[in-house]
Parts: sequence; C-alpha cells; structure tokens
Amino acid sequence: MTTQQTKKNCEVIITGFGGQGIVLAGRILGMAAALGDHKESTLVQSYGPESRGGACCAQVIISADVIQYPYVTIADVLVCMSQSAYQKYKEQLAQDGILIIDQDLVQTDGKRECFAIPATRMAEELGRKMMANIIILGFTTAVSQLISRKAAEEAVQSSVPKGTESMNIKAFTKGYEYGLSKLKGREKKAEGKSGAVA
Amino acid sequence: MQEIKIILYLCNWGPHVAFQTLQDQDYLIPPEVKMVRIPCTGRISKALLFKAFEMGADGVALVGCQTGTCRYGRGTDNAAANTEDTRGILDLLGLGKERLRFAAFLPEDVEALKTFLFQFRDDLRRMTASPIRPGGATAAAPRPGKALAAILAEHHVSACQDCGKCTSACPLALSGKPYSPRGIVNSIITGKLATEAVIKEIWSCLTCGICFQRCPSQVDFPAFIRDLRAHVAGHDNGRGPAHGGFFQSLMRAMTAGGLQPQRWLDLPQDIEVNPHSKTLFFGGCAPYFDVFFRRHQTVKTAAVLTDSLRLLNFFDVKPALLSAEKCCGHDLLWSGDEANFLRLARLNTEMIRALGITEVITACPECYQTMAHDYAAHGIETGFNVKHIYEFLEHEIDKNAVAFKPFAGRLTYQDACRLNRSEHMRAFPRKLLQRLRPEGFSEMKESQNAALCCGNSAWTGCDAYSKALQVKRIRQAKETGSNLLLTSCPKCQIHLRCAMEDPFRGDELRMEMKDLTSVIAETICWE
Ligand code: SF4
Ligand code: SF4
Ligand code: SF4
Repeated sequence: MTTQQTKKNCEVIITGFGGQGIVLAGRILGMAAALGDHKESTLVQSYGPESRGGACCAQVIISADVIQYPYVTIADVLVCMSQSAYQKYKEQLAQDGILIIDQDLVQTDGKRECFAIPATRMAEELGRKMMANIIILGFTTAVSQLISRKAAEEAVQSSVPKGTESMNIKAFTKGYEYGLSKLKGREKKAEGKSGAVA
Repeated sequence: MQEIKIILYLCNWGPHVAFQTLQDQDYLIPPEVKMVRIPCTGRISKALLFKAFEMGADGVALVGCQTGTCRYGRGTDNAAANTEDTRGILDLLGLGKERLRFAAFLPEDVEALKTFLFQFRDDLRRMTASPIRPGGATAAAPRPGKALAAILAEHHVSACQDCGKCTSACPLALSGKPYSPRGIVNSIITGKLATEAVIKEIWSCLTCGICFQRCPSQVDFPAFIRDLRAHVAGHDNGRGPAHGGFFQSLMRAMTAGGLQPQRWLDLPQDIEVNPHSKTLFFGGCAPYFDVFFRRHQTVKTAAVLTDSLRLLNFFDVKPALLSAEKCCGHDLLWSGDEANFLRLARLNTEMIRALGITEVITACPECYQTMAHDYAAHGIETGFNVKHIYEFLEHEIDKNAVAFKPFAGRLTYQDACRLNRSEHMRAFPRKLLQRLRPEGFSEMKESQNAALCCGNSAWTGCDAYSKALQVKRIRQAKETGSNLLLTSCPKCQIHLRCAMEDPFRGDELRMEMKDLTSVIAETICWE
C-alpha cells in the first residue's frame, strides 16, 4: 500500500458523475489533511463539458512538504463512482495504488484487487442518496489511512450544509466502519477464517 | 451423617420375588431404601423417574425383569432407555448420572439383588446429599396474594365487548376444539371460574397471542390466562402437563440453590469464550430437550447455541457463559407456578450480576421474552440489558462487510410466538432472511402477527386439537413449495417435528427444518 506513511506525497483522484458530490468529497479530503492533520494539500477540480451527469473529477494531493504542481499524473488512490469515470481514469492508478469503487455502479476489469462498497445503496437506506460521497469518503479514510478519522469528521462537519451535520457524520461513520470491517475481513480470510463455522 | 433417601421402583414380577425372598430370609434391606412396587418398569416414564429427584430422593433404582422375561414384552428395553435418557439429564443438571440405576433380575437372583442394593446405598453414601429438597421450596405454589378481582382488573377484562374476534381467530377453535376465549372471559366475569369446564379451558390455551392482536379492547388474553393458571394452580385440565410434567419437574428442581448444572461441558474446541467479558451468552434449555427427545425425534436444538456462539465469535465477541445457568423460568411462569418462576429468575439474576454482566444475548425467543420483559414485570430488577441474537446479527451484518454464500433451498419461516409480540422483534428475522441468498423465500398463508402456533406452549395442553393445528401448519409450509422450514425457537422444532413423525401419517408431513441462526452461521462469510 502506498500511503502517506511510506511516501511523502499522496495523490488522489476521486471521480464520478456530476451531481454525486465528487468535488465536495475532494474538498473535504484536502481540508482534513490541511486543517486537521496539518499537512499541505491541493485540490484541482475538473468537469467534463457535460457538467451534469458527465464525468467529474477531483484531484487531491496531500504532502508533508510544499506542493509544487497540483495536477495528478499517477494516482496513489483512485475512487470511482461511475463506470465511465472508471474507464477514463483506471490507467492513471499506480501499480501498487488503491482502487476504491461503488460496487453497484462500477464493474472493474478484474485485473487488480479493489475495495468495493455499495455506497449509493447505503445512502439510500440512510434516506439520502446525496450522501454516497460522504460514505465513500469514510470508507476511503478507513482503507487508505490518508487522513485521520478525527480530521475527516471535523472537515465533514464544517463543509456540509447547516442542519445536516449529524446525518453526514452518520454516513461517514457507516462508510468508515464498513472500511474497517473490510480490512478485518481480509485479515481473517488470510488466516483461513472466512466463515463462522469451522 | 444425614440420612439418604433411595427410591426403589420394583417390578411386581421377577425381581419382586427375589426381594420377597430376601425379606423372608430376614435379610435387612438397607433402611434408606423406600420400595415402590410397580406392575412393569417399562411404564415408569422419565417423568416418574425424575419426579423422585424433584421430591428429594438422593438415588433412584429401577429394577425389573431381565430382557426376554418381561411379561409384557418390551418393558425392560423401555425401562433401560428411559433410564439412560434421564441419566443424561441428571448429568447436565449437575446431579450426576450415578444417582439413577437400572438393573434386571430373575426371581432366583436373590444374592445379586442384595449386592446391588447395598452397593448402590454405599455408593450414594460416598456422594454428597442431593441439593434438591422437597416441600415449600419446590412445590407448585399459587400466586402469592393475587385475587381474581385483581387479575380481572389488571388485564382490563371487563372491557371485553363480546365481539368474538378472538374466538374467530383462535387456532385452537379453528382446529375444531370446543373452545372459546370469549367464552372463558364471559364465564369468569360472571363468576363461573370454578367450574371444571372453565378450568380445563384455562389449561388448553396456547398463549400464542393471536386473540390479543385482534382484540379491539386490547384484552391481553394470554397474560390473563397466565395469571389465571397461577390462581387455579393445582387444578389442571385433568390430563396434566405434557410428558407427565417432566419439564416442569426439571425446572422446579433447578430452583435448588446448591445445584451446579454442567451446562457447557461439551462445548466444541473452536468456540472462544471469555469469563471476564461483560457480555453473557444465555443458552436456555435446548440441551435438556435434545437428551429427552433423542429416541423419538431427530431434533438437535442445542446446535443453535453453538452456532450462535460461532456467530458471536465471527464478529469478535467472546462472551462469558454461566456454567450453572438455570432455566429462565418461562415454562413455569406460563404453567401456573409463579413462585418457582420467581426463584429461578432471582437465581439467574444474582449469578449474572455477580459476573458484572452488562448485556445478555440469547438465541431463545422464550428466554428473550422472559428475561427482557417478564423479570422486570414481576419485580425483578436485572440491571443488565437483554438482546436477542437476531438484533445483534442484524446490527453487525448491516455495519460490516459480510456476504452470504448462496444457499440451495427454498425457504419458508415459522414465526415464534414469543418474538411475535412486538413489531420491532417480528421484523428482525425477516430482515435477516432478506440478506440470505436462498433459491427462494415465501411466507406461509398465515404469517407474522397472524402466524399459527407450533401447537404447544410451556408443555401444557397438548391434545388431538393441537395436533390438528400442527398438521394444518405443516401443510401450509408445504403449500409454499418450499423445501426447508426455518424456525427461531427450539420448541417449534420439537413440537412440529413431533407432528411430522406421527407414524400414522407416514411421510406425508415430513419436511426439512432448520433454525435461522444455524443457516446464517453456515453461510455467512467475509466479503
Ligand atoms: S376480541 Fe376482545 S373484546 Fe372481542 S370478545 Fe374477545 S376479548 Fe372480548
Ligand atoms: S392465546 Fe392463542 S390459543 Fe389462547 S385463546 Fe388466544 S388465540 Fe386461542
Ligand atoms: S407436540 Fe409432541 S413434543 Fe410437543 S408437547 Fe405435544 S407430544 Fe410433546
């Protein structure tokens, strides 16, 4: 895993449709790193020509040092919330990078391992499809350890519309716990304990 | 030394001759031995064997004729099997199987009978006295000080509008039994409680709660019946409880404080428990049921307990276990023995509190209902939270990245009456069912708050009508086209299996049954 612990720089691409809150997720990620974890961070956002429903992308760099160039060429973490975004960006993920997907929206080519979460479905169950971005952000926080949970939660609190803070924290926690459980499940499987019955 | 008491059930035929010869020859029979002369050992049921222990015996000997010399054919074999099953129960109970022996003698085996009796007496002398003592402590006692007027008031019985909705929904009435909850309410309000017919009806109710669901006046008929049973305790339906009252005896025996049941001795190696945990897993009486029914039915209800423990371990919960766990008291509460219910409730509560437990998890619907609600309703403050395993599982599965292996089977589900009392609890098994990946799932014609009872509750009032009801229920299950009937309660497994194994019906009613918890344990996996 390439995370901030082994490399000074960590470059992230979060991508999906317009309207999914991709840029907000990127901004929260950057803010958490800068304000909560006291690192440097940059955010570059790009919309396709079709800003509603078309591919949308947030590029975030988190670094211990000053960042000279804010565009991501090779990503350490790629978060995909739509199939077309996945197709467009999959080649930009580093060999040992982390791929994170919404499993109901993205079908991978199966060439590499990924961390999958039904974020949009979970958001619907929580009552707001809009919060899928926050769920996947919580998930990303847990599996990539790019930012601390505390910093992430503070950034969520200060970035979402007033009155929706507690709902968004709930969504974040949902994704975060799911991420921790993914890691735990991988460990258990590695120990040969995949089910409950021996 | 405290005098020990030995009950000798002695068959009239072969061994009695030997016994008489001993007396004629002026041999001193050990004075501890109280002989009960019986026509055949094969008719001494498990209930009668156990009853002696409930009444304070330190040892019981069942002595009959040798195989092949039984006057009635199979008596000896029956007796040996009943003894074996009851010995299994004595072991679980922590009383020790050595206290019950079966032996067979020919009329001329005088010396051998003498040796057997002295040997048994000497062996029992070396053991400590049985902690189960008879009398006030264990006998069924009527509800302390609760008058009929108070019972009527507590359950708003006079709010009855005489609409008959209860009777028209009651599964017993629908299976043809001349029985009517409305009729009972009316008779009692008009002062006819003491009639034989009414008392009979009081003991027939399944306490399933459908009538309560339907009643526009919110008359909680099952709770009313529960209190009436305590009120009329001692008068039964003329048939006595099911299985000769074995289970009530067993549960009353458990009120003996000094008894140390050996509940968890044969726990599989792979299960991890932690005696210091603040979460306790409460098992319930399934292991006793399995021993009791081992020759009649193929039920393995104790598997639910090991599967529950495996699921707790799967989610990294290593619970404490109560080695001297007693029955939760459900069956005594619902069969009119409130005094002993209270004793069990206090014993369990004290033991659990002494471990510093904050949460009790159980897989048994009856233990859940009893410990979560009835303890407090009867003035016993537990100080711990009680959770059914379904609630635990739903929460964990929702939160964690787990999946289910596809499951070959078309499912239907038998609701447990004790989980069906609240909407909240009724929903959990269905949520879990939806997470499984079976070939198919379909509800039976009557389900959820209209679900039909498995045919018995608290080992009371089993008769031909409850059998008819079970047949109807199993047919409903088959009509769904499913090949696997899922259950939540060990008793549903036992009572429905009993109907399925009715020899007069052959294979007509047979259907595979499994517990929902076990199916979850078999199929759950990390994603
Ligand atoms: S349903 Fe209720 S109100 Fe109607 S007859 Fe029965 S007990 Fe009385
Ligand atoms: S509790 Fe069930 S069996 Fe008893 S009267 Fe009501 S519906 Fe009938
Ligand atoms: S249904 Fe069968 S197992 Fe249940 S109480 Fe009646 S006889 Fe016993």
